[in-house]
This record gives sequence, structure tokens and C-alpha cells, in this order.
Amino acid sequence: MVGFSIFVVLLLIVFIYPLIIKDAPLAIIARGTFFPPGIYVSAFDSINTPKYTLNLPGAAVKRIASKLSDDDRLAMKEWLVIDGLAEDEIDIEDTVLLLEQWMNRYDPTKRVAGMTNARRNYFIRLNNSLQGLLSIEDISIAVRNAETGDLEEKALITTSDYVNVNQVANVRFLPLGTDNFGRDTLTELIAAARVSLQIGFVAGIIATLIGLTLGLLSGYIGGLVDDIIMFFTNLFTVIPSFVLLILISFSIGQERRGATTVAVVIGFTSWVWTARAVRAQVVSLRNRDHVNLSKLSGHSIVYIILNDILPYIASYVVMALILQISAGILAEAGLSILGLGPRTTDVPTLGLMMNWAMIYQAHVLGKWWAYLPVLITIALITFSMNLMNTGLDQVFNPALRD
Amino acid sequence: MKGYRKYFLNKLGWFLITLVCAFILNFILPRLMPGDPVAAIVSRMAQGLSDARGVQAIYQQYTELFGTNRPMHEQFFIYMRNVLQGDFGFSFSQYPRTVADALKSSILWTIALQFPAIIVGWLIGNTLGALAAYLKGGFDKVIMPVSIFVSNFPAFGMAIILMVIFGVTLEWFPTSGGYGFDLIPEFSWNFIRSVIIHYQLPFWSIVLIAIGGQAIGMRSMSIYELNADYVKYARFMGIKDRKIIGYVFRNAMLPQITGLALSIGTMVGGALVAEIVFSYPGLGYTILNGVMGQDYPLISATTLIITIMVLSANFIIEILYGVIDPRIKAAQAD
Amino acid sequence: MLRNKLMAVLGAIVVVSMVLAGCTTPTPETIIQTVEVEKVVEKTVEVEKIVEKEVEKIVEVQVTAEAEEGALPRQETLYFNGQQWGAVVGWNPYSSSNNNAMAIGQGDNARVIMFETPYLYNMLDGQQYPLLADGPWSWNADMTEITFKIKDAAKWSDGTPVTAEDVAYTWEAHVKYNTPTAASYIDYVDAIEAVDEKTVVIKAKLNEEGNAVNPLTVAAYVSSNYVMQKAWTQTLEERVGGDATEFGADPAEDVVYSGPYHKFFTDDTKAVYVRDDNYWGQDASMWGKLPAPKYLAHTIFKDNAAGSVALAKGEVDVSQQFNSNVNLLWESYGLPISTYLPEAPYHIGASLPTAWYNLNAYGLDQVAVRKAIAIAVDYPTIIANAMTNQSATFDQVPRSLMNPTEGEQALYDHDAVKDLQWAGNDIEGANKLLDEAGIVDTDGDGWREYNGQKLSYIATCPNGWSDWQAAIEVVAAAGKEIGIDITTNYPEWSVYQTVVTKSDAPLPEGYDIFMMGTNGAGPTQPWARVRQILSSEWIGLPSNWSGNYGGYNNPEADALIQAIPSETDPDKLKEMYTELVRIYLTDVPSFTLMYRPGVFHTVNETVWTNFPHQDDGTEPPVPPMDCTDGWGIACLYNIEPVNP
Repeated sequence: MVGFSIFVVLLLIVFIYPLIIKDAPLAIIARGTFFPPGIYVSAFDSINTPKYTLNLPGAAVKRIASKLSDDDRLAMKEWLVIDGLAEDEIDIEDTVLLLEQWMNRYDPTKRVAGMTNARRNYFIRLNNSLQGLLSIEDISIAVRNAETGDLEEKALITTSDYVNVNQVANVRFLPLGTDNFGRDTLTELIAAARVSLQIGFVAGIIATLIGLTLGLLSGYIGGLVDDIIMFFTNLFTVIPSFVLLILISFSIGQERRGATTVAVVIGFTSWVWTARAVRAQVVSLRNRDHVNLSKLSGHSIVYIILNDILPYIASYVVMALILQISAGILAEAGLSILGLGPRTTDVPTLGLMMNWAMIYQAHVLGKWWAYLPVLITIALITFSMNLMNTGLDQVFNPALRD
Repeated sequence: MKGYRKYFLNKLGWFLITLVCAFILNFILPRLMPGDPVAAIVSRMAQGLSDARGVQAIYQQYTELFGTNRPMHEQFFIYMRNVLQGDFGFSFSQYPRTVADALKSSILWTIALQFPAIIVGWLIGNTLGALAAYLKGGFDKVIMPVSIFVSNFPAFGMAIILMVIFGVTLEWFPTSGGYGFDLIPEFSWNFIRSVIIHYQLPFWSIVLIAIGGQAIGMRSMSIYELNADYVKYARFMGIKDRKIIGYVFRNAMLPQITGLALSIGTMVGGALVAEIVFSYPGLGYTILNGVMGQDYPLISATTLIITIMVLSANFIIEILYGVIDPRIKAAQAD
Repeated sequence: MLRNKLMAVLGAIVVVSMVLAGCTTPTPETIIQTVEVEKVVEKTVEVEKIVEKEVEKIVEVQVTAEAEEGALPRQETLYFNGQQWGAVVGWNPYSSSNNNAMAIGQGDNARVIMFETPYLYNMLDGQQYPLLADGPWSWNADMTEITFKIKDAAKWSDGTPVTAEDVAYTWEAHVKYNTPTAASYIDYVDAIEAVDEKTVVIKAKLNEEGNAVNPLTVAAYVSSNYVMQKAWTQTLEERVGGDATEFGADPAEDVVYSGPYHKFFTDDTKAVYVRDDNYWGQDASMWGKLPAPKYLAHTIFKDNAAGSVALAKGEVDVSQQFNSNVNLLWESYGLPISTYLPEAPYHIGASLPTAWYNLNAYGLDQVAVRKAIAIAVDYPTIIANAMTNQSATFDQVPRSLMNPTEGEQALYDHDAVKDLQWAGNDIEGANKLLDEAGIVDTDGDGWREYNGQKLSYIATCPNGWSDWQAAIEVVAAAGKEIGIDITTNYPEWSVYQTVVTKSDAPLPEGYDIFMMGTNGAGPTQPWARVRQILSSEWIGLPSNWSGNYGGYNNPEADALIQAIPSETDPDKLKEMYTELVRIYLTDVPSFTLMYRPGVFHTVNETVWTNFPHQDDGTEPPVPPMDCTDGWGIACLYNIEPVNP
């Protein structure tokens, strides 16, 4: 039941979210890659928002600390020592003094023997970021006059000015930041989950239908039909399905590779074990009394299969369907990571999001929001489906219940 | 024994027929892909040639060499003859490397990675599953969901997470390569130790998922068996628990072996994700490149190897089954 | 009953194992290769190494010494990534299919670690510096012949000196066996002769007036193509019995070279090159010392991500990969990683990845449509998202036919074409253009029609080339804003290249707006690039790797392109180039999407330092060419270990 509830929750989220947030999932909203999750407040609008004066203790310290970390202080000390200043004259805790010494002595053109280029660039960057760090002067926002070309002061911002985020005109909450294309990851993720589920369903249903039919026929009719179908099944087992999948996907080419096509392809290559399993069940049912009775009564084969055999394996088929669906979702994700999934611009899928995150090296750069939520979603979907399956298993087989 | 012989011959017959058909399919399937691989190679080689005749000449040369200008059945017979002599031909995408050469180096790595991983995963998984079924209670309640969750983690997900946590963040294990980036392969303790260290992450990414799957299966199986009539009867008779368990698990184990056979059969192509994520040398990546580059000989050769392995594994298992479990033979005779 | 259960059990097992198998279906990441479609870089490496038998013995001893340890000494090895993506297949510079990226790379910025060219091109100042040659080359009075001498010190790896005869014979072999080198130069170079032991004369092909057909290309020959030893070439010829295909396909393990490095070890995971301590280049007439690293090792990664991780860990020193957001590695993680420029664009742009129009597609024969799409594209987003800021923006370097280097930018009059240049994102302007041309939405479906037919195009680039794919997405998004239906499609590279390079027939559907690269920096640039983009001489070729894939035909442009190589007056040249830029920006047969460096050059200074960087004080300035290309190889003589 746990599995069922997780699954239902997922479905609800997937279908309700787009009704609330109507943004197109594939819209590129960011210029730049992998914006971290957070609340994005329009800087332009906050200038025009009413300002509140708050005098908070520690504000100045926080301001400085955000620009000058402890590592930075140590680095500054290192540079000053190299420059010749005596070590005991440097106190890294005394920001004012440290900055003063730095401003007096730092020379970006100085070449220190043995210092790597990267380190030298670091000091240049540090120096640039320290300009005006201690200043508590009001910042003036100026607009260029269209006619005269002069800068005219429009607003004055002091260190104690705060704006209320609720009053700013444009605030965007990006709980999962953006991906490499500049798309809102959360919206994209939900849309992708929906598409992946769709693909999984289609693939699962196709695979189950094929497997069920073939299994029923070969299991019940037996004989030559059975041998042929089993032979056919064996062939499919023996040719690695993923290679087959890759070959077919590659062959149909990108233009025709929409989401549904991919689902159909997956369905057509993964019916094998359903067929085998169904056949096994049918074979064991074949000689049951009620079946023999029906045979004696002269019912047609189709009637017998539908009325006497199918209901007994129904539970099994349902379980198989669920497994097929989750396998279908995984197969699609796999194909997409290979680059053989549906087209990128049409629809997002979970596999495609993983693919692009890997390509743009999100995992190397620590941009966890680009790939971790996707992984967790995939795992949750398949996990919940399998839990459901186990639950059903217990329903149909009392022996398994504790 | 007579029934057994019939069983054996039946199996053997199907094995051979399937082998032949699979062989033919392996040949045909890659060639059904659209696109002309020779054209791709030729246009690469003919860069800058402004003379149309020059390009044509090169194109002719290569189609002759690869034999793609002949009708399909002729190509097939040439292919079959070559394969029986052990010559898999030239790889299109890695020309002038031969397919055998391209496969030789990578197949060892793949087998070395997959085989122990499958066995270990199988062993640990089955043990856990059996224990869960036997002990029930708290142990079972924890093992079950955890196994399901882990087994459902997509393989690439597991690989990436392991790499990010253990390779990049904690730096306990290396993040790429089959052996140290500064090592030259040779038989030294240093080298072997490096291989083992580089082996860990890809190995565990496969094993963890395998464990999950096996545990679930074994648990179901064991529960079935534990509730079987003969177990209850034996208990009543006063036979020691330990002896009963021995029988139970032997019965439950049988079907698991089928799964093992299948895994071993398909292992050659199975580690694709681990190979890419960890830059591990192996066959999976070669296959992928082969497909992308429409490298018929390479694809045919690898699928052939996989085919033969799966068929053989299946065949052997079915024969073993027939020997071990008399019920199977009886069922066949039905 | 039992059987029933067993079957159920069997079935369940099969189910579970299938799930397993399904679960363990791995999925590799696509290999991201932003491979530039430049013409094959051919180096003429004149290798004159006196590698006597004794020397070889010494080398062998060293080899065994290393083998005992089993590890390459970290302090003496320079690690690379991003050049070699598969196992090394061969060592034959006559071949175009040996994927030996580190050792073989002829062309504008020839790779000279193993085979050498007479001169080295420096993309930073546009000069050619002598390597195997002795002093600068010179034209004769009527610019029909180039003469240069070979250094006395230059020797082959077998100890024999490099002679002019080697240079001459190399060219002969190229011609005889119809190699791609021959194909590129046969129309411009008539013959190469050895006047005496050390003097080489290159005779240009002449036109009817007796002038060289293309003096620029002839001058480029000396820094683009390797010099091979005559004796070894003859051995190879004997071995293949005169068969041209075999000649190119031979793995050439026994090749004789003149460069400082040669094969040490190659397999599926790495390619290692070891220094020859008897390399002739340590003579005072050349470098005066040996290159610093004893080994050059290239680890073969499966994709960019694995390579980036290794770079971050310090397992790679020089990276040619496109590392996404590379600046974060040193800004956020504080790693000692840097690029040539400390700030965006981080690299020096050399080539212009371009979106070409299929001029035969419906509606694309209209300038209004072409220009509208081009000015509507959001280039800042392309550069920020697709290139992660590793390209100059079009505000910094306004679009033209030239790359962002100072040398090329100075070649045209910026002010004259200012009003034709656009920075992108001009939706208003694009709409205005289309409205004025009468291309409007007549049936209210939201898309414009031209003469009644809806304008709808497919924008495409090869699958897996991530930065190009991201750029094409932005192009397609622009279409929506201006009422033109543009969708994207990404065929595999093997299919893509065959279609795009077939210029003897109109391009098929699906290739309306397609991406291809252009030439980077070289001695014949920007002329060769202009020719690549505008010249109609490529139309009709069955295998066209040269350019103008969309079929643009402008006789005016052709005439200018024909005339430039023989023009020597810099003012006149400037006029001609400016005119060409004007034509390009008016007709818009294609448009540049971003700037791209010739090679990406990112270095990790954990083990080695003193790599080339901006204002590093080297004279002549060392270009960031991964320490192996053209004058960039001077880097190997400048780097030093961080902890000696």
C-alpha cells in the first residue's frame, strides 16, 4: 500500500502542477547555465520598491565576510609576507588594517617567482573584489539622460535600506534552479516525469499485450505452435535486447523519433519474458479440471482461453504489466542517455535531462540540482511501482503475507 | 535414462537451430540500418579532393575491400567462411584495425568486471533473501524495502552517485580508468593493486543493484517453499530445522540458477553505463561506437559473441536442470 | 501441484531476472566531441634526427628502467586530454585515417611533437618561424618560387641528416599516391625541388599570365606539411607494392621521424610518447635545450565529463576539451586551473561556427527571410548557455568574416560596415524586415507565409555535439518570435557529414539551416575562410569538405576571392576584405553563431607551471595551442615543474 500511495502522490503532482504553474517547461528563461536553487529577486524592480530602514547588528560584518573569507585573509597575508612585510605586523582579524596594508602594497604586475599563473590570477580577482569593501557610502543609482547624455541620479541606497521581497514586482522562486539550457528545472522535471510515465505506459501495455497473446497461444495450444513461438522467443532472448533497441532507434533516425515512437520500439523489444512467464502459467493451468470440462463441453479455443485461463492468470498479468511499465521507463532513460531517445526540443524526458546534465558536466561542477532530483524521481517511480507489485503479490498469494 | 536422452536431444536440437538463425540475424540486422558506412569513411578520407573521379576511385576501393558492393547473400557466405576461420574482418570505424584486435583488448576487462560482479551479487542477494524469508520479523521488514529501492535505482544513477560521493567528494576511490593514469600495464604488485582499486566503484555499482534484485526473488521463492506441505510434514515428524532448511533452499535455489545463467550470458554487453561513467575499458563502449559508426563487422561480431554465450549458458543450465531436478524431465514428457 | 508452483516460481524468477537485466541495461553518455570540421591539419615535419643505433640502445635501456617501476614519473610527464578519443591505430602521416591525434596533425597549426614541418605558424602574430628550415623563406622576384634552406643540425631519428631531397620526395610521394595533402595543394604547387643538399625550391603553379595561381597557399605549405624521410618513404612504397590504399593504410610502426617525441606505449586507455634525448632540436641553432617533460601521456577518456574530473583532480595537465563552465573550477573550487585569458572569453577565438542556409530551400532564397532569422537569434544566450562564456560576444567583436584575433580584425574597415552588423535579439527589427518584404501571416495561424506557403524550416547539427545543439535550440527559439516555424533535428554525425558534403545535388529536406565549422587561424587566413564561406567553386563537388555548403553564388565575391592571394598592397587588401564583409552581411548566406578557439587550452598547474598566458612576456608570444601545435610547442621548452 505504501507503494500505491507514493505512486498516486506522484501522479497527482505530475498532473496538478502544470495546472497551477502554466509556464512552458522547455522555455529558456536564463542566460547562463545551472543557476543554483533559490529565490530570484529582480534587482531592477527592487530599486523602485519602497524601502524600509532596518538597523541590524552584525550587518557590516556579514557584508565583509561574504567577500572576504578566512582563506582569502590568509592568502592576503601570504602575499604581504612575500612582498616583504614583517609577519607580526599583519593581523588577519583586523580588517581595516589588513585592507589598508593590502591597498598600499598590492601590485598586480608583480611577478612572484614560483607562483603559478592560476594563483596570480586569483590575487588579481581578489583585489578587484575588495575595492570599496569597507565603504559605507551611499550608493547612487543613475540613469543616463536621453538628450544630454549625462548621468542623473535617480535613487540613493544606504546600507540600512531593505526591501520586502513580497513587494518586489518580479520575484521568481526556482526551487531546483536552472539546467544547462537555462530552463526551470522543476517545471521541466515535472513535465519530463509525465512524458516518461506516458512512454512507460505505452511501452508496458504493448509489451504486455504481445507477451500475453503469445504466451496464451503457445501455452494453451502447445505442440508446433508452442515450439515455433518459443523458438521465436528464444531468438529474441539471444539477441541482446539493448543492442536491438539501439539498432532500431538509430535506424529510425531522429526526425521520426517522437516520444510515442520510442515507446512503441521499447514495447516491441521487451515482451519476451512476459511471454515466457505467461506460457509457464498457462501450461500449468492447461490440465486443470475446469479446463478439461470446458473442452468436453465443446467450447472453442478462444472461449476457453478467455474464460477459463485468463482469469486465473489475471493477477499475474497485472503484476507483469507493472513491471513492464517500470522497465519501459528505465529503458527510455537509458536510450536518452545514449542520445537515442526522443528529440530534445519536443518534450523533455527524465533520461534527456540526465543526458544534458552529464554532457554539461553538472556532476563534476557540483550542480546537484541538475541530475539528483531526476535520479530520485526515476527511482521513486520505479520503486513505488515495484512496491505496488509486491503488495499485489501479497494480495494474490496469501502465503506471502506475514 | 531413455527419457533423459530424449530430453537432451530435444534441447540440443533447438540449441543448434537457434544458433544458426541467430547467426543469420546477427549478420542481417546491422546491415538493415540505413546509411552507407563506406560513404562516411570515404568522405572522411577524401577531404579536400576536388576531383570527383578521385572520390569515386576511393569509394570503389573501399567497397571492394569491405565487400559492400556484393549482393547480401554473397556477403553472407564470405562472412560465414571468414568467421569459421576466426577472421572477423576489418572494423569500419577503426579502420585499419581488425575487429578481432578491437575486441580482444576490451573483452577481457568487461568479463573481469561483470563475471565476479554477477556472482557476488547473486550470492549475497540470495543469502539476504533467504535470510529474510527465514528470519521474518524486523530483518525482513527492513531488507525488503531497501532491496527493492536499491534494485530499482537505474544503473547509471548508481554509477554516477557512487562516483560523485566516493570519487569526487570523499576521494576514497579514483574516478576513471581501469588502472592508474600514470601506470603502464605489466605484472607488478603496484599495477595489480591499482587495477583492484580502480575496480571497486564500477564493481559495486553493478553488485548493489544485483543484490537488490536477487534478494527479492530469493525471498519470494523461499517463502513459497517454507510454506510447502513437505516442510510442515517434516516439522511434525521432528526433523531438525537445519536439515529442513537445507532442502528448502536447495529447491528454492533452482530457479535462481536460470537467472544466473541469463545474466552471465548477457554480461558481455552489460556494463555499458559503468564503462562510460568511470571511463572503464571494456566492450560496451566499443559496441556503442560501432553502432554510431555503422560498423557492421564490429556489431555483428559482438552480437555473435553475446548470442553464443547466452545460448551456451542457457543450454548448459537446462541440461544441468534435467540432471538435478527430475521433475523437469517429467514435465517435459507431458 | 508442485509443478504448478515450480512453474510459478520459474516464471517469477524469470520476471525478476528480466527486471534485473533491464535494470542493469547501462546507458552510456553521448560522446561529446566538438570536432571542428577543418581541413585535415597536415604538418610537414622535416625530421632530421641522427638517432644512431647506440642512441636507440640507450633509449631502450631507459624504457626498461621505467617499466620496472611500472609508473610514469609524475614530475617528468605532461598529461593531456581531449585530443585522442580511441585507441591509436597507426603512425603513418601519409594517411588521413590514422587517429593518432597527438603525433599526426598536419595543417595550419601543425602538431610537431613527432613529425616536423619546415616552419611553425604562430597564430598570435601571424608569422612563420623556422623549425627544420634555416632562416625565413623568400619569394623570388616575380613571386613564383619560394626558396628556403634546411638547418644543418636537423637530423632524423636514425641519425641521417634532413636534406632538401627529403622535402622534395615527400611531395612526390603525396602526389603519386593521391593523398589528401596532394589534393589540397596540387592546384597551387607545381613542383618541389632540391636545388642542393640543403636548399629547397617550391615552384608555384602558374596561370596564363605567368603569375602564381595562389601564392598564399604555396606560402602556407611550408608550415602545414610534414617532411618525411625519403629512405623510409621508399621502404614503405616497396612494402605496399605501389598500392595507394595500402600506402595510406599502413600502420607504419617503423616510421622515421625528426621530432622530439616518439611512441612509448599505446593501448585502449592511454597513448604515451617518450622524449628522444638525442633530439636534434637541442642544438643552439634551434631551441638550445631539450623539451622539459620526458613523457607526453594522453589518457583516453570516454567522454568530456570523465576528462573534466581528471583535470580537476590534477591527473591531466593540459586539456583540449570543452570544459563546461571552466571558470568555476578556479573561482568556486580554488583549483590551480587557468586558461590563456583570465576572464571571459577565456580563450582566443579562431574559428567561426556558422549556421548555413540551404539557399535552395523554399523561402530561403529571400534575403529578408535570411536576415530576419539571423538578427532575431539571441546570441548572448548562445554564448552564455551553449559556450558557457568561452567565446567573445558580438558586442565585443562585431560580426564579420574575420576571427577575433587582432591580426585579422585589423584587415577590414570596421566603420564602413558598422550599420550592417547586428548583435542579435532584434525581434522588432526582424519583424519589420519581414513585414516590409511582404512576408506576413495571411491565414492567421501564427506563422508567416511567403507566396501563400507557410515558412517552416528544420535547423540541424550533428547529434552529440552539445554546444552546437544548445546553439541550434536558441536559433529555433528565435523563429517562434518572428513567426517562422523552425524545429530542430539531430542526425548522427556519420549521416550528417555525408549529406552536407554532397554538393553535386541540392540538399535534402531536413537541412534548411545547418551548422558547420570554418577554418581557424592560419597563414592563409582570413582569405581561406572567406573562400570557404563565399566562393562558388565548391558547388558541384561530390565530396565537398571545402565550404559553401548552402550553394551561394556571387560572381562579385568570386572575383575578389580570386584576386586577393596575389594582392600585396595592404590598403587595397583592406578594401577588398571590407567589400567582402559588406557582401556577406548584406546577403547573409550564412551567419556566425559564436567564436570558437582553434583548440581549447586549459591547464592545471599542480605539477607544471609557466604555461603560456596573456602578457606572459614571451617573445615571440607563445600561443595557447596545447603545447603541441605550431609555435605553441615552445611551451614545452618553457614549462617547469612546480616543485623541482
